[in-house]
Amino acid sequence: MGLGFAVGVFGVLILAHAAYSTIQYRGLLKIMEEEFSGPPMTVVAEVLLGLGLCMWAGLTVPGKFLSIHPDSEENRIVSLPLNVDFMIFNHRGRAFSSEIDMKLKY
Amino acid sequence: MVTKTEETELNRLEIQVDNGGGGAWEYLCLVRKLKVRRSDKVLKHGLSILNDPKKRSNLGPEEWTLYEQVAVAAMDCQCLDVAKDCIKVLQKRFPESKRVGRLEGLLLESKGSWAEAEKAYSSLLEENSFDQVVLKRRVAMAKAQGNMSGAIELLNKYLETFMADHDAWRELAEIYVSLQMYKQAAYCYEELILSQPTVPLYHLAYAEVLYTLGGLENLQTAKKYYASTIDLTGGKNTRALFGICLCTSAIGQLTKGRNKEEKESPELHSLAATALEKIYKQRAPTKLPLLNSALKGLKI
Repeated sequence: MGLGFAVGVFGVLILAHAAYSTIQYRGLLKIMEEEFSGPPMTVVAEVLLGLGLCMWAGLTVPGKFLSIHPDSEENRIVSLPLNVDFMIFNHRGRAFSSEIDMKLKY
Repeated sequence: MVTKTEETELNRLEIQVDNGGGGAWEYLCLVRKLKVRRSDKVLKHGLSILNDPKKRSNLGPEEWTLYEQVAVAAMDCQCLDVAKDCIKVLQKRFPESKRVGRLEGLLLESKGSWAEAEKAYSSLLEENSFDQVVLKRRVAMAKAQGNMSGAIELLNKYLETFMADHDAWRELAEIYVSLQMYKQAAYCYEELILSQPTVPLYHLAYAEVLYTLGGLENLQTAKKYYASTIDLTGGKNTRALFGICLCTSAIGQLTKGRNKEEKESPELHSLAATALEKIYKQRAPTKLPLLNSALKGLKI
């Protein structure tokens, strides 16, 4: 968790640095009065590196992913909820007396 | 719907609480959330919490929900004095509450005094004629007294107003099946599948009702719904696999002698048979010869 978080922060810093470099590059081009066609190759490489680090961090930090398949072993429906609204009380369980003498004390 | 993880969690908590470990409150919350009916355990552990003043004060405002849960569980286990005491406590705390009024009606029902319960419910309905729970309790009372046609009438009237209540549709379907009115039960299951198309158990129940009705069209539709059950459960539902085999053989017997161009491909049947054999080999290898002889007996 700590490592993933640190990597994530590092990735964000790299992206911020790439953005700052691009702005500086544009400023330089304005001085030299040339067209801004695209950021230099170093910046592109830096952006890709930052992307990779942030994605790795984004997948590792949240922890275990839950399954979304409805028929996977943990998601499958085992039983429907018993209709508690329509529960009736005159079933054969009435004949069984409770073993413990249960009382609501105060 | 109770999923497998929730069921394992519930069983684990149950074993833990039964053997004296803590966690009774989490168990009771889980039972309430999943709407399972474990009344004896709920009663035992709920009373152990309620009879201990320290644990009771720990719950804070949720102790009243616990009182309600224990009251209903006590009624289910026929410990009517416990239920009466719980209701008295709730009445003292919430004097004019409709929810407590419903519990009182429930107590009268469990005692068996149907007329008084009916009176109590009618008075509650006068104040609020669209109280869903009370309307459903009247249906349950008719069912408990054995008056199935009355229950069906009341439930139909309820469903005219509250068409989206799928619990009620399920209840109606089960009542119809118990009375062998399969066409009406099929209609109820169709409503259920329309509102919740991803629950495979409804598809399975619908297919079984259609298979029971019989007739060529119903059998073909039943086969389709067995297939959709298999689709939704990833092929793990043995009952649906058996259903396909039986449907295919029944259709084959009905269409014997008709023109063979209309015959459907036998691939589905052989696939289902193979899947069944694989499941049996994995889970019950001793019963495999029984399965093989049964499948051979189904004439295709």
